[in-house]
Amino acid sequence: LCSVSLGVQGMTCGSCVQSIEQRIGSLPGVIHIKVSLEQKNATIIFDHSQQSPESLSDAIEDMGFESSLSE
Amino acid sequence: MTKHEFEVAMTCEGCSGAVTRILNKVEGVKFEIDLPKKLVWIESDKDVNFLKETLEKCGKEVKYNGTK
Ligand SMILES: [Cu+2]
Ligand SMILES: [Cu+2]
Repeated sequence: LCSVSLGVQGMTCGSCVQSIEQRIGSLPGVIHIKVSLEQKNATIIFDHSQQSPESLSDAIEDMGFESSLSE
Repeated sequence: MTKHEFEVAMTCEGCSGAVTRILNKVEGVKFEIDLPKKLVWIESDKDVNFLKETLEKCGKEVKYNGTK
């Protein structure tokens, strides 16, 4: 398992946080996701045979939020 | 082009911003969003189901209200 922290821009409230946690959390290979509105990021634990930091970032972008791979 | 009306369960500017960014990535659509009324109008020749699925990417519930 891998863990990654991605920057997420464009969230304004708890319901934004919830929709991202729900949708990304239900992707295959995603074990756990915690989104923070204050820190504008998402911490995701995933199975690296099914997801990658890039695929997860793309999935967040696909939902209409801006996502960046932070170091 | 046909103008379609969709009801999207948007609750805040984060939602309408997400819908805006999603639709900006689709070619050949013109759209308008009314956040308080939770309505999105899309002018496009694309299939209604395609448009609905595109809107659903934002993670909110979407209902098709028909053409306007
Ligand atoms: Cu929000
Ligand atoms: Cu919202």
